[in-house]
Amino acid sequence: MAIIEVATGKKLKASIALLANADFKQIAKKRYFFDWKKERGVSDLFKLTLQGESEILGLLALIDFPREFRVEIRLLCVSRENQGKDKKYEGIAGHLIAFAGRVAISKYFEQACISLLRKTELRNHYKVKYGFMDGGPQLFLEGPRLYELIKKYLS
Amino acid sequence: MSYKKLLQENNNKDLAESFVFPVKLSAKRQKSAELQLAEARQRARDKMTDAEKLTARLMGLKFRMEDYFRAEKPNNEYSFGYFLKLYIELLNMKRRRLAEEIGIDETLLSQLINQRRMPPDYIPIRLELHSNNSIPAEYWFRIIERDREGAMLLNKAAMRKKEMKYVTGGISVHL
Repeated sequence: MAIIEVATGKKLKASIALLANADFKQIAKKRYFFDWKKERGVSDLFKLTLQGESEILGLLALIDFPREFRVEIRLLCVSRENQGKDKKYEGIAGHLIAFAGRVAISKYFEQACISLLRKTELRNHYKVKYGFMDGGPQLFLEGPRLYELIKKYLS
Repeated sequence: MSYKKLLQENNNKDLAESFVFPVKLSAKRQKSAELQLAEARQRARDKMTDAEKLTARLMGLKFRMEDYFRAEKPNNEYSFGYFLKLYIELLNMKRRRLAEEIGIDETLLSQLINQRRMPPDYIPIRLELHSNNSIPAEYWFRIIERDREGAMLLNKAAMRKKEMKYVTGGISVHL
């Protein structure tokens, strides 16, 4: 699944890369909700852009737990203009979650797992939309459900 | 804007499609969360079939290969030999068996793994067929190209010095 431009239905290719220091100039809390500078050195930070463009559409913070073969999605945010019913592009969060799965699988193969600590009120939506499973306060994704998500968003 | 305000202005579905929020747990709850997750994962893993495990291994191999040949610079940790060895390990196979199954001598397979010989063109094709098209020949060819690029960069001066004696003429224009 590509990123979809909602107004036209046009499918666009996305690119996900490590966040560089220079990127912080365009990352304001107003548009990306969290203080991403605080995450430097705590998490691995990634940005999603449309291929060949520099505007950041989404951000992702991952923490690796090698002993558990697990990658935790610590933070994720879609840029403000792409949130809610008036969003410009569809599929940004799905791409970022699938990317976290790709990171986990390339490190840990069949033992790979991604997880996130959920807000109670959002729990069911993560399960329905992305296939997450219950693991107590954490939701997790591994095995066939994870492969399907990766195929859906990144193939 | 606070989380509470976001909740007032958006429905839960829209929030879940735009955010993963940080959640703080006490040390006690953290410990219990880790245990619950480990148990739930174990239950999920017990249900995984051998085919699903193999799918994950091939996906992981493919992603590592992509990262290697798409990176801006060659990474010396990886090579054709590294990926070939990993392919054999992920299939839980003996080298001899893979050599037989792709119709080559085991010695050649070892030379390829140990980077003592450049892979002939038929090797990527046979590996593609062996993997049931899961790892396309193109991927192996791109790995070979990346290795050559890495070697050229590493031995840039020495390679030029060696070839200099064979070049007796040249053009005068320099771009």
